[in-house]
Parts: sequence; structure tokens; C-alpha cells
Amino acid sequence: MTPEEFAERIKAKFEGVEIKITENKLPHPRKRIWVDVDRDRFKDVVKFLKELDPTAQFSIIIADDRGDKLTAKYHWEMFWEQGESLSVVIGTACPKDDPVLPTITDIFPSTLPYEREVQEFLGIKYEGIPDPRRLFLPDDFPEGIYPLRLDETGVKMVKNAGHPYGRKSK
Amino acid sequence: MNILYATLGLIALYLYVSFASLLWEGLDRKLVARMQRRVGPPLLQPFYDFLKLMSKESIIPRHANKFYELAPVLALAVSIALLAYTPMGFAPLFATKGDVIVFIYLLTLIGFIRVLGAISSGSPYARIGAQREMIILVSREVPMMLALFTILWRLNHLGVEKPFSLATFYQRNVWSGTPLALIGTFILLFVFLAWLASEIEVGFFDIPEAETEVAEGPMAEYSGRHLALFELSNALKMFVSASLVVAIFLPWDISAYVGLSGISALVVDILFHTFKVFVVLFISMSIFRAITGRLRITHAVQVFWLRLLSAAIIGSLILAIDQLGVIA
Amino acid sequence: MNEKVEYWVKIPIGPIHPALEEPEKFIITLDGERIINVDVKLGYNLRGVEWIGLRRNYIHILYLAERMCGICSFSHNHTYARAVEEMAGIEVPERAEYIRVIVGELERIHSHLLNLGVVAHSIGYDTVLHLSWLAREKVMDILEFIGGNRVNYSINMIGGVRRDITEKHRRAILDMIYYYRQEVMPKIEEIFLYDPTVEARLRDSTVIPKRIAIEYSAQGPTARGSGITKDVRYNEKLGVYPDLGVKPVTPKEFTGVIKGDVFDRMVVRVGELWQSMEIIERALDQMPEGKIKAFPKDNMIIFKLKKAEGEGIGRYEAPRGELIHYVRAEPGRDGPAKWKMREPTFPNLFAVARALVGEQLADVPVAIASIDPCLSCTDRVAVIDANTGKKKVLTEVDLLKESIKKTKEINPNIKAKPERVGGVGL
Repeated sequence: MTPEEFAERIKAKFEGVEIKITENKLPHPRKRIWVDVDRDRFKDVVKFLKELDPTAQFSIIIADDRGDKLTAKYHWEMFWEQGESLSVVIGTACPKDDPVLPTITDIFPSTLPYEREVQEFLGIKYEGIPDPRRLFLPDDFPEGIYPLRLDETGVKMVKNAGHPYGRKSK
Repeated sequence: MNILYATLGLIALYLYVSFASLLWEGLDRKLVARMQRRVGPPLLQPFYDFLKLMSKESIIPRHANKFYELAPVLALAVSIALLAYTPMGFAPLFATKGDVIVFIYLLTLIGFIRVLGAISSGSPYARIGAQREMIILVSREVPMMLALFTILWRLNHLGVEKPFSLATFYQRNVWSGTPLALIGTFILLFVFLAWLASEIEVGFFDIPEAETEVAEGPMAEYSGRHLALFELSNALKMFVSASLVVAIFLPWDISAYVGLSGISALVVDILFHTFKVFVVLFISMSIFRAITGRLRITHAVQVFWLRLLSAAIIGSLILAIDQLGVIA
Repeated sequence: MNEKVEYWVKIPIGPIHPALEEPEKFIITLDGERIINVDVKLGYNLRGVEWIGLRRNYIHILYLAERMCGICSFSHNHTYARAVEEMAGIEVPERAEYIRVIVGELERIHSHLLNLGVVAHSIGYDTVLHLSWLAREKVMDILEFIGGNRVNYSINMIGGVRRDITEKHRRAILDMIYYYRQEVMPKIEEIFLYDPTVEARLRDSTVIPKRIAIEYSAQGPTARGSGITKDVRYNEKLGVYPDLGVKPVTPKEFTGVIKGDVFDRMVVRVGELWQSMEIIERALDQMPEGKIKAFPKDNMIIFKLKKAEGEGIGRYEAPRGELIHYVRAEPGRDGPAKWKMREPTFPNLFAVARALVGEQLADVPVAIASIDPCLSCTDRVAVIDANTGKKKVLTEVDLLKESIKKTKEINPNIKAKPERVGGVGL
């Protein structure tokens, strides 16, 4: 399946979904599909991916603080059994005052550790996540602090962290 | 020999064997290092280790009970007692009729005390190590005892002063007899070498103390003086186990050839015996350690119950057939 | 009463344990020697790399990325450079692509040799550890010769590479390949394909079936050992790799069967050693002349990237599996607005934790070693905050003071002052 065909399939099934195909300039050009979908239909798109290729391999959740909203981009590698694979990035977003996204661990079980990671670092709550414990952060890390957020709930640069021999903070 | 001389002899033996066994550990580490293209530690490293451990604080876990501190002392005491029943190029100090039973009993007791100490420490690693040690203990003794008693029974038939004692090996040579008996003895030698490797826990049988799995197993919580005592008792046990193999299969002495008698004969004999122990340990410990990895506990038990036990049975049957003259 | 009383023991493997090269924690529930459950806790090595990255510019991050991990240091800055190049549409000269291939494959050789030794050590086969690490010295020397360092060779630059491969490098590399072909590989095959101890320990232990490997998105040799023909170099048509004929290596070509156990993972590594050597030879032959950088001056890169906008993904087959970096740029910033990476160990760790259930405790070290875990890569994201944390976090100087206090108790004659070690806050 070529990237264009894939984009057509998605477009036919889900109206109004933003799709763009980028190409890089390596000696062998390489296309990537970027899909943007609202969070209500996000889970349906993921289900559709699984229907298209049951062996699709999930790689990463890129969660980002974009001011008033939190975005999450999921990367899949599809049709890897047929040589050149399809690199698909599906992005979704949620507002910061209601940071909830649907979990997709029931469709792709391998997303669980990534969702746990995003949950503790950016404070996106996953609805129905089977294991909401912390993964990277220590258990006594304060609640309500999300290290990778860029607003006041994030971590500020601490001047010298109590270092008496360091530079004096100005 | 009165009791005073025997006690003095035991103390001298204890000092000598402690020295020789720690020296062998240094040699072994050096030799294995050379086989692995490493430089290796200094020859006297085990002595440094021992002295350093003796001077260190011993940390006792909060959940440990009294036996935790008692176990290393008991283990060392048992290994010293064991020396009195060990053939060292001459008959054991307290040689008597049937002393082989005491020998095996004491040898097993050291392992048993290690297990008790490990369980008392309250560490899960030590507990798993202790489980493994127990399993190995009950598996390895069966083929060894069968082989040992067959050999003693056969020597007994040839006529000895004290039946079923370790002194018999110096009166009758196991290698004498028909070619059939030689084959049987040779099979039993193989069983004994494997038993020796498992007794000192190297190579295939480094299971209870598996460093990468259970972090030194039974020894996980021990430190300082307690660990030093265990290390010493382990070294003594290694020397004693190898002495048994040497006494059975390589009983020749050189003092008679050189024409010595009295104390000097004893000294020459024990030096020659030490040399033979080193040779046996080199085969069964250094080489074995360098060319094999660790088995899983299930594999190891299979090795004992399927391979070694059947080898011991076959060897014993051959000896019995030869002795009772079934074919001839 | 048919109820069986279960004597379950919980054993922590880690954070510090002799089987682990780096801190992590596996909480293993045992019934005797059989494993009932495995729980993974990470984060003992967190350095907040992602967070630091937000405060660095594009060139700084190249060197920061490299320091995530000592073994796959080339992979990290290679992948990061690719992500930036894709984001900004920078074209890399062909010679630079070939140099990236050569250094990347050299790194794969050194990483796989390291892992062969580690697996042997975890089954108590220390001789193999020492001999395979002795063999590894050769490729480390070559890497030092090319990059100037044994690890962190700093080969990549955005839009090219920093160091050329000249004729004397080429001769040294060919010498090394000859040495490996003649002396090392036959012995390694002897040990990892035919040795009875190794076979007894590695065969049928910690089987990851193909279904589990797909479900848990296993990567790299872990996936290929289970028969998944996935290799980013091949699937992604990465760089000049298609011209060099790269194919995913599966154990089928060596042993004829695919079981997905530890043995198969090691067979894949042995196969990839052969493959890497072939690729290096071909790359040395086909390498064209030309320039090695798209931009002659580094400040031009910053100048161009400051105007760039968009996002890019870089993917590369690191020795352990698929490595992926993401970079998003905002115009006017000289550093990325978002930089995110994922290392192959992360999914592999959960795949192997799943596969360990039902196995024996003795399999744990070898199973963990068989995915070649790189935990310093995996743990990289958080920050310790001394001000907001409820617990008091002892800083370096507090520790130093404590330590000096203790020393003075023991020996009052020592006169020492706490000295500043390491960096200060910005």
C-alpha cells in the first residue's frame, strides 16, 4: 500500500481528518504520513489501523505542551512484512483544563508503558488505563508536578539546587 | 598415640591445611585468569581477602536470628573436626573402624550449617540459595556414597585391618586387580571428579552461589568476620573433599621409596599429598570452571540422578561382578 | 481440601544487582524457582535529558544525545541528526551517508560482541566474557582511530559527518575485518551455535513467541529472534543501506528453526556480526569521493535552522533495535521546541518481562541480558527538584560535607575542604 492509497482510505472512512504526506531528501526518498484527528474519533482511527494491518508496530508517543492544549502523536510502522514499510504518525490533542485522552492499550497492548510515561511527565490522564502507577518517577515525587510541562506545573530550573559553592543567583 | 599428641597434630594440620587451601585458591584464580587471557590477582590474594574480612565490621541484618552469627563458627568448627578424619597422605588422625561414615556426615553437615545460616539471615536471595543448596546436597551425595561404599566393600574383601575406614586406602590400592575392575574403578573416578566439582560449587554446579542470579546465594547477607569464617571453612572443605578423591584413587606415597620414617616421613607424605590434591583440583576445579557455564537447577539434578547415578551403578556392578566372580 | 497453599516469595532484582549492568528494578514473584509475575520499575538513571535539551541549541544537542548511552552513542546522534535534517529539508552528501554506514556498522560489531560476553557472563561462562571482550578491543581501537574516542566518537554533524575516512582508515578497517573473519568468528560460532552448555542454558529459555513479539512491539534482535523480519535499515530504506543489500537476519538462515528463545536472539547477533562486516566492505568499495558536510561552517547550520519550521522523525536500527527521535522546530528558536526519543530497550523490556512468566529464576539474568538492555538510554527524562520535593534531597555538597565529617571522626588530623565537583546550575 502506498502512502497516497493509505491517505485515501483514511479520508474515505473519516471525514475532515487532516492528512499530510511529507518526503525527505535522503538518497532514497522516504514518505511519512501525518494524520491529525480530534480526540473523540482518535480511538476509531487507531482501530481502523489495526484492521488495515493487524501486525502494525507501535513505536512512540510524542506528547507535547503547546500552550493551551496538550498534544500527543503516536507513531506506527505498518506493512513491515512487505519490504518498505509505511510510517504513520497519528496526532491528537486535548485542552489543558481537561487533559483526558482515551487509552488504546486494549488495541495495542504495547502502548501501556508509554501512556504511563506521558501520564506522569505531562499529566495527560488516560481513561481506562489498566495500570496507572508511575513508571519512571519515584513514588514519593510530589503530586501535581509534571516535569515536562512548560507552564507553572512544570519543573523550573533550580539555581544551584542548594549548592553553596556555585554561582550566586542574581 | 596419646590424646595430647593427637590434639597437637590436629592443630598443626589445621594451620597447614588453612595455608595450603588458601594458597590453592590463589593459584586457581591465577591459573583461570591465564586461561582467560587475564593477568589475574596476586597469588596471595585469598590471604589478603581473609585478613581484610577479619578486620572488617560485620553487618547483621535486622531480621536475622541468633543462628545467623552462630553458623560460621559452627561451620569452621565442623571443618576442623573433619580434618581429624581426613586422609592426608597417611591414615587419618582419629582413624577407626567405620570412620568413613563420620567423614561423610561431617562433610554434609558443613553444607547443612550453611543452609541454616542462610535461612536465618532473612534475605530472599539467601533463602533461594539455601533451597538450591539443599537440592544439590541431596542429589550429589547419592552417587558419591554408592561409589565410595562399593570401593570400600571391594577393598574389604581383599582383607584389611579396619573395615570401612579411610585408612584402608593406604593398605590396599584400588587400581590392583583384573582389567574389568580397572574399568569399574575408572568409571567411579569420573563420578568422584564430578562430585568434587559440585562439592566446591564450580562450573556447571555453581548454582547455589550463582552470582548473577541470586547474588552469592547463601552468602548474600554475610560480611566481615562471619564471611571470613565461612570462606575459610569453604576452603578447608574444598581441600578435604579433594583429599578424599586423592586418597581413594592416588594413594601412593613417596616416603617409603625415599626411605624416610617418623616425622620426616609424615612431612614428605603430606607435601606430596598436597601436590596431588592440587592436581586433582586443577582438573576438577580450574579447568572445569574455565570451560563451562552454570546449569539450571533442574538440569543439574538431572545430571546427578540420571547420568552420575547410573554411572555409579554401572561402575559398582562391574566391580561387584569382578569381585564375586560371576563371569569367571 | 484441594486448596494448595502457595508459598510465593517476592524477589527484587535490582536496582543494584550483579546481573544488571545498569540500575533498574524487576520485582519478581516466585513460587519456588518458578516465576509467577514480573513487574518493572524504571527511573533509577533519570537525568532529564529531554528537559535539558529544551535549553540547548541544535548543535549542543548532538553531543548531549551522544551522552545518553555509551554503547549506542553513534546511533543516538545519528538518529537525532536525521530527524533535524528531515525537519529542515537538509540534503546530506552521499559520501557522508557512506561514512555514517561504516561507523554505524562498526558500532554494531562492538555492541554485539559486548552483548555476547554479557550473556555468557550471566550464565556463569566467564571465559567467553573475557575472550569476547578481548576481541572487542580491536574494533574499539578502530573507532578510536576514526573518531578519536573509544566511545562518543562524535562523527555526526547535522547535514553530514565531522570526520572523513581516509585510505589509512580503510586499510585498518579491512585488517580488522580479516582478523575477525579468520580468528574471532569461527570461535564465536563454535560457542554460540554448538556449545552444549550454552545450548542447554539458552535453548527454550524465555521464549518470546511471534505473537507476543508483535503485540509488545519488540525491536531489533529480540524481534528478529522471534521470526519478525523487521529491520529499520531495510524497511525504512535508510540512507544508502538499500544500495548495500541489507536484509533482516533471522535465525532461520543459521539453524533452520525459529523458536524465539534466548538462543535465537544470540544467533541473530552472530548473524549480524557477519552482515555488518559485509556491509562495511561493500561500503568501503562503493564510497564515492566528495564533500562530507552540507554546510562548511557550523554556525551556518544554526542560522538556517533558526528559520526552520515543522517537525521531523528520524529512525535508525540501533544495535538493540529501532531507535526513533522526533524534533519539532519553532521559527526564531535556535534549539528545538520539542525533542523526544524512544530507545529499543523500552518495548523490549516489557516484552521480556511478559515472556519470563512461567520460567525459572535462573533464566532471569540471561533473559534480561539477551535483549541487551541499555537502561541509561531508557531512563532519561525526569528531573529531581530540590525545592518542590517534599523530601529533602541531599545535594552533592551535603554528601561531601557528611563524608568529610565522618572522615574527621575517624582521623581528626585530616584537613580537607569540600571541593566543587561537576557542573553548577545555569
